[in-house]
Amino acid sequence: MSALGIVGGVVQPLAVVAGSPVLVGMMRQVRARLEGRAGPGIAQPWRDLRKLFGKEPIAPRGTGVVFRAAPYALVATTLVVSFVAPLATVDSPLDPVADLFAVVALLTAGTVALALAGLDTGTAFGGMGASREMTIVALVEPTLLVAVFALSVPVGSTNLAAIVSSTLRDPARAISPASLLAAVALVIVIVAETGRLPVDNPSTHLELTMVHEAMVLEYAGPDLALVELASAMRLGVFLALLANLFVPWGIATTAGPFAVLGGVLALAVKVVVLGLALAVGEVFLAKLRLFRVPELLAGSFLLALLAVAASFFLA
Amino acid sequence: MSETTYVQLLYLACGGLLLTSVLMLWRRELAVLIRVFAVQGFALAVIAGLAALHHGGIELGAVAVGILVLRVGILPWLLRRAVAAVGPASRETRPLVNVAASLLVAAVLTLLAYAVSRPLVELAPAAATSAIPIGVAVVLIGFFVLITRRRAPSQLVGFLLMDNGITAVGLLTTAGVALTVELGVALDVLLAVLVLQILTGRMRETFGDTDVAELRELHD
Amino acid sequence: MNPTGLALGVALVLGVFAAVLGAATRKHLRARAVGAVTALCGAAGTIAGISAMCGTRYYAAFPALLPLSGVTITVDSTSGLFLAVTGAVAFVSAVYGVGYARADANGRLPQAVFPLFVITMMLVVSAGNVGALLVCWELMALCSLVLVLTEHHRRPEVARAGRWYAVMTHLGFVAILAGLLVFTAAADDDTFPALRVAAHHLSPTTASVVFVATLLGFGSKAGVVPLHVWLPRAHPEAPSHVSALMSAAMVNLGVYGIVRVGFDLLGGGQRWWWLLTLALGGISAVYGILHAAMSTDLKRLLGYSTTENMGLVLIGLGAAGLVADDPVVAGLALAAALLHMVNHAAFKTVLFLAAGSVQRGAGSRDLDALGGLSGPMPFTTAAFGLGALAASALPPGTAFVSEWLLLQALIHARPSAGAAAVVMMPIAVAAVALTAGLAVATFVKAFGVGFLGRPRSAGAAAARESPASMTAALGIAVAVCAVLAVLPTILLSQLGSLASGLLRTGSPAAMDGIVVRLVGVSGALSPLMLAVVSVGAALGLVAVVRLVLTRQARRAARLWDCGAGPLSARMEYTATSFAEPLQRVFDDVVQPETDVDVTHARESAYLVEAIEFRNRVLDRIERWLYTPLLRAVSVWAAAARRLATGSVHRYLGYGFYTLCGLLILLAVTR
Repeated sequence: MSALGIVGGVVQPLAVVAGSPVLVGMMRQVRARLEGRAGPGIAQPWRDLRKLFGKEPIAPRGTGVVFRAAPYALVATTLVVSFVAPLATVDSPLDPVADLFAVVALLTAGTVALALAGLDTGTAFGGMGASREMTIVALVEPTLLVAVFALSVPVGSTNLAAIVSSTLRDPARAISPASLLAAVALVIVIVAETGRLPVDNPSTHLELTMVHEAMVLEYAGPDLALVELASAMRLGVFLALLANLFVPWGIATTAGPFAVLGGVLALAVKVVVLGLALAVGEVFLAKLRLFRVPELLAGSFLLALLAVAASFFLA
Repeated sequence: MSETTYVQLLYLACGGLLLTSVLMLWRRELAVLIRVFAVQGFALAVIAGLAALHHGGIELGAVAVGILVLRVGILPWLLRRAVAAVGPASRETRPLVNVAASLLVAAVLTLLAYAVSRPLVELAPAAATSAIPIGVAVVLIGFFVLITRRRAPSQLVGFLLMDNGITAVGLLTTAGVALTVELGVALDVLLAVLVLQILTGRMRETFGDTDVAELRELHD
Repeated sequence: MNPTGLALGVALVLGVFAAVLGAATRKHLRARAVGAVTALCGAAGTIAGISAMCGTRYYAAFPALLPLSGVTITVDSTSGLFLAVTGAVAFVSAVYGVGYARADANGRLPQAVFPLFVITMMLVVSAGNVGALLVCWELMALCSLVLVLTEHHRRPEVARAGRWYAVMTHLGFVAILAGLLVFTAAADDDTFPALRVAAHHLSPTTASVVFVATLLGFGSKAGVVPLHVWLPRAHPEAPSHVSALMSAAMVNLGVYGIVRVGFDLLGGGQRWWWLLTLALGGISAVYGILHAAMSTDLKRLLGYSTTENMGLVLIGLGAAGLVADDPVVAGLALAAALLHMVNHAAFKTVLFLAAGSVQRGAGSRDLDALGGLSGPMPFTTAAFGLGALAASALPPGTAFVSEWLLLQALIHARPSAGAAAVVMMPIAVAAVALTAGLAVATFVKAFGVGFLGRPRSAGAAAARESPASMTAALGIAVAVCAVLAVLPTILLSQLGSLASGLLRTGSPAAMDGIVVRLVGVSGALSPLMLAVVSVGAALGLVAVVRLVLTRQARRAARLWDCGAGPLSARMEYTATSFAEPLQRVFDDVVQPETDVDVTHARESAYLVEAIEFRNRVLDRIERWLYTPLLRAVSVWAAAARRLATGSVHRYLGYGFYTLCGLLILLAVTR
């Protein structure tokens, strides 16, 4: 546990919590502008959250403790990931937790909590959302782990800090075929995990197409605020992980105030660039039929496997 | 050019080769396929060009230019013409094996390619030869495209994919390819494409479609 | 007699005593007496196992006990592990049985056989020669068969399951018998040390025959595809405490057999054996969890999940054998496989026992008829929820640690291990990953549909919590699960030295109390820190939200019902509908049978009166492999009927002719 790690453990969760809603706001604003609308401004998600936190908490009849606990579990798992993963600083406060498998599994655990909450409501929508979300999770998991495999074979470790600092030492690795293929696979997976187009439409409330929104339909007030905050944070964390796995430059390697500030700024720039690219891409995409999604995920799985193959072929 | 830069660029081009083959298996719109094919031709030309720069051969340089002209220019142009003639039904609607399954098959084929080409790599271990499995994988994926597509134009794409793979293997083996051999192969391919293009045209005139399954009608 | 032998002896005596009690005591005392004494027997077995793992080996020979070969008892550290797991599962199941069996399985026969089943399992792993191993194996199979058939007079499907089980287990036994007899024929006698010596001069073909035959035989006990067909039938039909014992303890003995014969007696052997093991494991894992994901019967789902987990264990064993040149990775893979086996035993006990409580409390184990149990059955719901978390490889669950280790082993296999290893490792990682993903979906379904939401049947609505002995047993099992989840290091160092002993290499996993740190390759994970940080973050968040952000009390409100009046249970998603998207995605693999019957109204063909929808997911391997086989067998059986005419003279004659034929053959060949 180094000084840098402790600084990172304090700074990163704060940055993720504060920055993620702004990221979502920016993405919505960009979409709005590209679609010819004025847009509500980038601070709108924060205004929404403030409003929701001020409302009265609701307990829908027939729901139990799982329904109440799920938003907290969702935010908590994401917070833990932003605490341990190397996002702004290369060291982790808890190095034995900053494992790529552990991080992936933690984020999945959050999704599972929300799916159980959907089932706990006992409504058709909740069940539908949970069923679809778990189908997607089940298919995403192989790609995710095989991509992790591809990234860790050259490094010889699944420790996130090890992967990031190895790329820092050997920049040529960033443009090796293995890491490019893995990057493409991971982009598709992240789009599926965070419920963006073309897998899920975050702004739809149409019964037949909802996935994420169907699960959280019964949440209101502070609970809904937590769920919204968590999905923004997940998007931010996933994009930050993606950025640092392939383009780690700018991340703080010493505990000096300027280095850490630089790390946070670099993180913000990378995540904003990725987020805007995603938003611009979404303007041109339509949502896929649910049963075409496996095709997309099979493709990303193939790319991940090819990444593994390439890392062996060209070792 | 330093050794490491050469290796990096070479591997990058090989990665591009593999990625484009996968995309050709994945996507079904013929227009997209042709664009991807052109990109793949470019990756192949880069491989040849790198080999020329590294080994300093004039012949290889000529091969690179030839590949660039033929595979980025002429063949895509011919294909585009063939597709334009087909009209709006330019989509591989229903391949014999569904897309998800064929992607998984491609994954297995790649691993198979790796397993079978290990002896080749071990003959002369070098940076270029270790990429041979990628060439073999492209050949196998091309063959797979060839046997699972219903429409003649997309079968043609499969054939060309195979040929790209063979050329890549040739370029990656340390000896390189003699200019005459490459020239002969290029002419062969050109001829095959022309023949198939004519065949496609005839089929459309006869059956009003380019579904190869219709050829069964000719049997009796 | 050292502590190991003493504890084992006590366990055996207590087991026999419990069996006598089961046969002799009065009905109202029976369950309590048998449960208590069997629990003590299990505890003694656990102590014996732990003592053996700590290095106190036990050896004894009883030459007069069994004709020809005698009985040798050898408890080494490998036996110790399996002995400890069996004993622990037996302890929990027996405690649970006090409350459970009193109502459902309190006959003289099942109560007397239950402890015998426990001690035969203990004897299988303690046997030190082939003769004793085979006899105990057969006794164990017979005991479990009797227990599976407990409820046969109440439900006809129990008898059918029993038939499948009887046939499959005996075919497996024949395979083991053949393999081990071939092996023994090459050795001086049938004790394990003699076999180890014989393995050095065994021809490769003979060794392969021995390995493949025993792999099939032991694999069928572990429920490995395609020999798994009996498992999802027999495990669910047994009384739940027996199901737990079978699914958490008995299947492990299949793993024991493979480890004992493959690694210990044959000493590793050829690479293709382990490739075969790895392939069987991968197929079992994916196929098992796929069917679990489609199952709507809670116990059948758990049965398929057993196949899945044994598949994962076999992947570990196969990887260990495949990369045997690399001692670090091989040791890691073997330790991961053994840890996963222990973890599986822990969480499968919880899950089966909780399923038993549900069956008893809600009167059904059909997920489509359950739901809404978190109110009336809070303990069982919590136990099943924690068990499901443990089974689905999510942190901070039990299986997460062992699957992490398994993936570490697969990732660290170097390309130098040969083309086969390089090609298999990514496929194995993909198989493990797909299994993990589907397991998450499966257990979300089992827990979310089975326990949450609103009740889908009258039985579920009137559910009641189980008696104290059952919840106590569940509590113990959950506690063990939790300890294994956050502190695997207490077990891992033992498993590491066990694996290195089996592979004759160095220890793969070191520990410094709370962090699992791999030796020789880089990798570290601390499940305890992970759990503490996650729980801490969640509690901190609750505090912040409750104290700072909103201080109002919760108000009860209606669920969103589209303004169409109150929601009913019929509008809920069922287990079938939950699994439907997955079923569609894997349509080509599972090939479900779906019928839709539409009845039109008499007045007009455009009006629909009723729609009937049926959906069945049949085991495809069963249909393709076993149905033709059974048909062939019945054709042969019909032909054989002609031999049996009913004439006694003829039957005696067959014996006479065969004898004469054999004698002539002998005379000619000698």
